[in-house]
Amino acid sequence: MMKKIIFGLAIAATTLAACNSNSNKSTESQNRSKDTQAKSQTDNATITTSSVADAKNTISIKEIVSTYLQLKNALTRDNTTDAATAGTTLEAAFKNFDKTALTAAQKKTFEDVEDDAREHAEHIGKNGGNIVHQREHFVILSNDIYDLVKTFGGGQVLYKVFCPMYNNGKGAFWISETKEIKNPYLGKAMPTCGEIKEELK
Amino acid sequence: MSFTKKLLLAIGIAFIAIQFVQPAHNKSDHALSTDILKIVNIPDSVNAILKNSCYDCHSNNTVYPWYSNIQPMGWLMANHIKQGKEALNFSEFGSYSPRRQLSKLNAIANSIRDDIMPLSSYKLMHKNAHLSTNKKTIFINWAQQSKDSLSGIN
Ligand code: HEC
Ligand SMILES: [Cu+2]
Repeated sequence: MMKKIIFGLAIAATTLAACNSNSNKSTESQNRSKDTQAKSQTDNATITTSSVADAKNTISIKEIVSTYLQLKNALTRDNTTDAATAGTTLEAAFKNFDKTALTAAQKKTFEDVEDDAREHAEHIGKNGGNIVHQREHFVILSNDIYDLVKTFGGGQVLYKVFCPMYNNGKGAFWISETKEIKNPYLGKAMPTCGEIKEELK
Repeated sequence: MSFTKKLLLAIGIAFIAIQFVQPAHNKSDHALSTDILKIVNIPDSVNAILKNSCYDCHSNNTVYPWYSNIQPMGWLMANHIKQGKEALNFSEFGSYSPRRQLSKLNAIANSIRDDIMPLSSYKLMHKNAHLSTNKKTIFINWAQQSKDSLSGIN
């Protein structure tokens, strides 16, 4: 029995230590993303309004889409920190979106997408430094944004671009504001993989 | 009494004191109609993997090991279970929207491919939770097929 207790204590000590270092890391990266967020607020006027903590009911679909595009562009540059910042901003944008003007059917679509997309945006925000995992979430997030644009329009001309090489040959698509191909999944390693499948107006 | 002795005594007392704070157990008897078993087809090989490697943190039923009765081990487990169920609960899979179900199946396949699940601290204590390459392939293929079959319906 004594042996078991000592063994248990030893494990407890190691797991506790492991847990601590973990949570430190996440607060540290949160702080870091707050800093960068503050910086990008001054850089970019559209974001300034959207990421103010309690600026409720000021977000439009166009702003959600433009934040998604910032995230996409950060990933094309392999920039995991900017991607995390955009992810956090995107989560806030979904949270602060004004649903009051929507019809009941539109509201249902929006909430269905929001429920899923917010979690992906949140995880992308929390995983600065782990671009592989950010890109995994970006696959499904792109699907969500596509459905959103199909229902509400994107406020600008957009393209659905598909690259068959990512994800073990299963491929994945993303939404782009330009016809020029810059791949957010493969980044600088293979920037031009992609083909425009659809124009969304 | 020397300082070391006092310190050891204090640690000993603290250790005994925390034993009285037992976290509530994650156990429910009735199978829910929202269980993943009711939503997608699960072959025995996959069911065994889910039971041995995932359900302790991602379902409404945890099989508690002996050391979970020793604090702070029990607290740590309770915390993993809380966070794990928030991220994904196989017992309530059917209550997710079709969109979320597909999204979660995708995350399940990714978590195995990237080796982030089951958590490594868990694998340390549960030898049979470890997934061989063969088991990983079976499991990832199952997640993929379930995704395809669900997206066919929806
Ligand atoms: C020891 C407890 C534990 C076990 C066992 C475990 N998980 Fe997890 N899992 C967690 C926790 C805790 C989280 C939440 C992590 C977070 O939020 O950062 C999680 C998160 C996840 C996620 C969400 C990841 C994401 O990025 O959205 C998936 C999917 C997942 N687990 C699948 C599995 C599968 C499949 C198994 C079995 C092969 C498994 N887990 C076994 C504790 C566990
Ligand atoms: Cu994640």
